[in-house]
Amino acid sequence: MATLTVRLPRMLSAFADGKLEFEVEGETLAGALDALTTRYPALAVHLFDEHRRLRGHVLCFHNDDNTRWLPSLDRPVKSGDVITIMQAVTGGG
Amino acid sequence: MSVLLIVGTDKGAFLLRSDAARAQWTVEGPLFKGWRVTAASRDAQGRTFLGVNSMVYGPAIQVSDDLKSWRQVNGPAYPPGGRRKLTQIWKIFQANDAHWCGVAEAGLFRSDDRGESWRPVDGLNEHETAAVWSPGAGGLCTHVVLHDRTNRQRMWCGISAVGVFRTDDGGRTWQPKNKGVTVVLEDKIYKDVGYCVHGLAQDPDDPSLIWRQDHRGMYRTRNGGDTWEKIERGLPSGFGFPIALHARSRALFAIPLESDEFRMPPEGKLRVYRSTDDGESWTALSKGLPQGHSYDVVLRHALTVDVLDPAGVYFGTTAGTLYGSRDAGESWHALPLIAPRIVCLAASAE
Repeated sequence: MATLTVRLPRMLSAFADGKLEFEVEGETLAGALDALTTRYPALAVHLFDEHRRLRGHVLCFHNDDNTRWLPSLDRPVKSGDVITIMQAVTGGG
Repeated sequence: MSVLLIVGTDKGAFLLRSDAARAQWTVEGPLFKGWRVTAASRDAQGRTFLGVNSMVYGPAIQVSDDLKSWRQVNGPAYPPGGRRKLTQIWKIFQANDAHWCGVAEAGLFRSDDRGESWRPVDGLNEHETAAVWSPGAGGLCTHVVLHDRTNRQRMWCGISAVGVFRTDDGGRTWQPKNKGVTVVLEDKIYKDVGYCVHGLAQDPDDPSLIWRQDHRGMYRTRNGGDTWEKIERGLPSGFGFPIALHARSRALFAIPLESDEFRMPPEGKLRVYRSTDDGESWTALSKGLPQGHSYDVVLRHALTVDVLDPAGVYFGTTAGTLYGSRDAGESWHALPLIAPRIVCLAASAE
């Protein structure tokens, strides 16, 4: 089981005991994301839609890889990896 | 007695407090910084509910029993794979030992555990007319819920741009109640829907007496919605969004706009209109409000009243200004908050 670092945007930290960064364990990226929402269930509705797909404006990086570009989240992870959640919003005025 | 005013804005909620004089206010916040706070209410036991939303992270309900610690409850949510998605919390309302939540896309949810979990009210959500429900400019939303405290089986809800529905069997079945109101979006088959209710206010002593700020005018029913009559004497326009009743004094308050085409204060004058005769006539109230080049708007949930006497009346605008009156609308003053766009207000006693 690998230990990964999760980094959250400030708007979501309220749903993770105020933390911007914490650790989760998993063998795969999907498993680590499951561990993330198991630990902080309130995050699930804000990260994923009802089909367990990332919401349209939520970005998730596994180290430097945008998870949208991955064929599957069932990729192995290793200790020290970082999951970074960001919001994908441009424009506005 | 002191007053708590919850101000929901596009970027968080603020708590304003004052003593009974309502002359000096303290400000706390923002709560849920960055989140759009779309609904605010307190139940009879003092639990506070906030509907929060983000275009990135979606909607949820946050609750607090002490206004200090908050937690997110489970739901509401439409069943996965269905034709509808839950896009916003519009109203959280306590009635008949349950809590009710109006949402967009339009529907109603019920909680029997004080808001901890929610289940859909299928009699409304799966109504035979639901397939032809169409959104208004604010979306397709159930934004108001009323109940009859003398008849636990009877409730009402308002859906934009569909109309008012009433249940007489505790929420199992719902009937459109829009007779007498001018239709906005007439359907080819279902003639009972296509009405654009913007706001409702209800007489607590006579729950069948309801006032309706509609897209097509100001209306009143004396028979629980079976028939509606227009009541616009003294109003500069029948179009507007918020309406509120101060139950203790029976004063009605509304803030009309210039037509659905322009949606601005008539003549650029920010005015509240009050009726003290059940809506038969309306009088403009403007002392202390800008009477020139004022073009901000008061959204449907951004007008409220407190329970004191004389009435405290409060409204917030899309420009983020917050006004209060401690003399039933005779005079107004700005409250000490320049907020983001103000979406909703809730006043309660502490």
